[in-house]
Amino acid sequence: MNLKLLSTLAPPALALAAFLCAPAMAASLAERVETCGACHGEDGNARMPRLPSLAGQPNFYLMNQLILIREGVRKIPEMEALAKELKDEDILELAAHYAAAPSKRSEETPDPALAARGAQLAASHHCASCHTPALTGQEQMPRLAGQRIDYMVESLKAMRDNRRTSADPLMVETVVGLSDHDLAALAHFAASK
Amino acid sequence: MAVTALGGAAFAQATAPAAPPPVSDIVRKQAERSKQDVNLRGHPVPPIATPRDKLPMDRIKVPEGFKVEVFATGLAGARMMLLSPKGTLFVSTRTLGRVYAVADPFGKKEVKTIAQGLTQPNGLAMKDGSLFVAANKQVLRFDDIDATLDAPKSVDLSEKFNLPGDLSHGWRYTEFGPDGKLYIPVGANCNICEINPGTHAHIRRYDADGSNMEIVARGVRNTVGFDWHPVTKELWFTDNGRDWAGNEGPEDELNRLPKDKVGANFGFPYCHANKVADPDVVRPDPCAGVILPKALMGPHAAALSIKWYTGDMFPAKYKNVAFIARHGSWNREKKIGYDVVMATEKNGKVKVEPFLTGLLDEKTNSFHGRPVHILQLKDGSLLVSDENNGAIYRITYDGKARTARL
Repeated sequence: MNLKLLSTLAPPALALAAFLCAPAMAASLAERVETCGACHGEDGNARMPRLPSLAGQPNFYLMNQLILIREGVRKIPEMEALAKELKDEDILELAAHYAAAPSKRSEETPDPALAARGAQLAASHHCASCHTPALTGQEQMPRLAGQRIDYMVESLKAMRDNRRTSADPLMVETVVGLSDHDLAALAHFAASK
Repeated sequence: MAVTALGGAAFAQATAPAAPPPVSDIVRKQAERSKQDVNLRGHPVPPIATPRDKLPMDRIKVPEGFKVEVFATGLAGARMMLLSPKGTLFVSTRTLGRVYAVADPFGKKEVKTIAQGLTQPNGLAMKDGSLFVAANKQVLRFDDIDATLDAPKSVDLSEKFNLPGDLSHGWRYTEFGPDGKLYIPVGANCNICEINPGTHAHIRRYDADGSNMEIVARGVRNTVGFDWHPVTKELWFTDNGRDWAGNEGPEDELNRLPKDKVGANFGFPYCHANKVADPDVVRPDPCAGVILPKALMGPHAAALSIKWYTGDMFPAKYKNVAFIARHGSWNREKKIGYDVVMATEKNGKVKVEPFLTGLLDEKTNSFHGRPVHILQLKDGSLLVSDENNGAIYRITYDGKARTARL
């Protein structure tokens, strides 16, 4: 089955088709990137709500998360079948590809008042210590600059509410007790960087 | 050690917002004390093991007569080890969610993944051929595990044990004690905060089926290693100090639970180390009634496993000495730890000295391995797990080699 043929299908169908035919074929990097792009944007910058951009993320972060998703530590039902077939080498290849891709801001517009409050919260919560002062991320810590706001809000809530069991406990300790409003402020601040 | 004085120095560097937002006092004070320094960051756990030929063996230093060799590789994220009476070596992980079995560990060393997708499955323990895995709020029992490595089946005992599911300090160190009870710590569900002493920051023990829970030590922030003294049979445990209170601590602790003090208080969150009052969670007379540590283990050093040496391979002076693995710091500008130290008790006083060093490169402030757990083998050699490299090292002593050199 040819993946090019499938690209005319709607993204969810494409992902499903990629999964169904996956065991029979060893996909090339280009084919895998096309599959990923259906949801995460063809250039790795997501345009669909609540989906993360992969472009410009630290190499280690991408590699680590794909392994955690593959093994069911980070539970994402939509990713389960796709990640399952990936070997360590495939994951290293994908991580290197997206780490080198240029990051672009989403179409969302950060709210200046929220972003200003987020800047204060980011200072008091040591965000820069791990995510770097420019919030471009390092090692296992993701790039936040330019990331989708709706994805970051969802992620922050999941970590605060102890729903993301794969989360770094240091991150959970950092956001515990923050209101929805404060989490939104952090997301708007990060997206505006 | 003056935590508050350090706080004063860092205060000037914090940018005070014109209209301070209603951030909690604890968070605000922590920010004032600690710099936004990219050296103060959690270290990653590589999810892919270091190849054998890239392991940092030529860096490792031990006292003369001792030798360190690679025992097993290919165990990404290796943490706690357990050698079953039938001869399988089980190895846990934390972030990676896997439990490994090394079948025939002294021969072919065949690595199998017997569980995956678990949440922080750090804790392993064994009783009557059953392997217990403590993974955050889960407790799983794998019966007759040695015979079922290729198709392991587990009984879920989580409801009986009723452990909290917080991710903060939500990984467990577990062992069956000399009393046959399963010891399970529940760490603080925060870096520093008021905790519910009935649910958090303590060490519990249970019957193997999860019944008859009893709290044996309170005010324990996060212990990731304990062992019973070979002579007194008393419980000794490490405890990791809080973060974001400056480079100098409060230091990690090595604690002893006196036999007649079951349920005693070890100070968290009000009193740390040798009577250091917490600068954030304040109450009058914070160290009243607190059992102070037998030794301090270094600021942010992350003292984890403790193992009292009872073997015959090492020279006599090592008998009943405690080996302690220090995982290494993250919340400290100048890195510390990444080693194995030994604690010697004499006339009630404990002296701590280096034993296995070299994984920390002080010149470049970088590290090459992170020891987690220590296991003594029947022949008296020690195994040390390295989470950073997904490897296990074996420490032996060759008295003859030493004599020959002398």
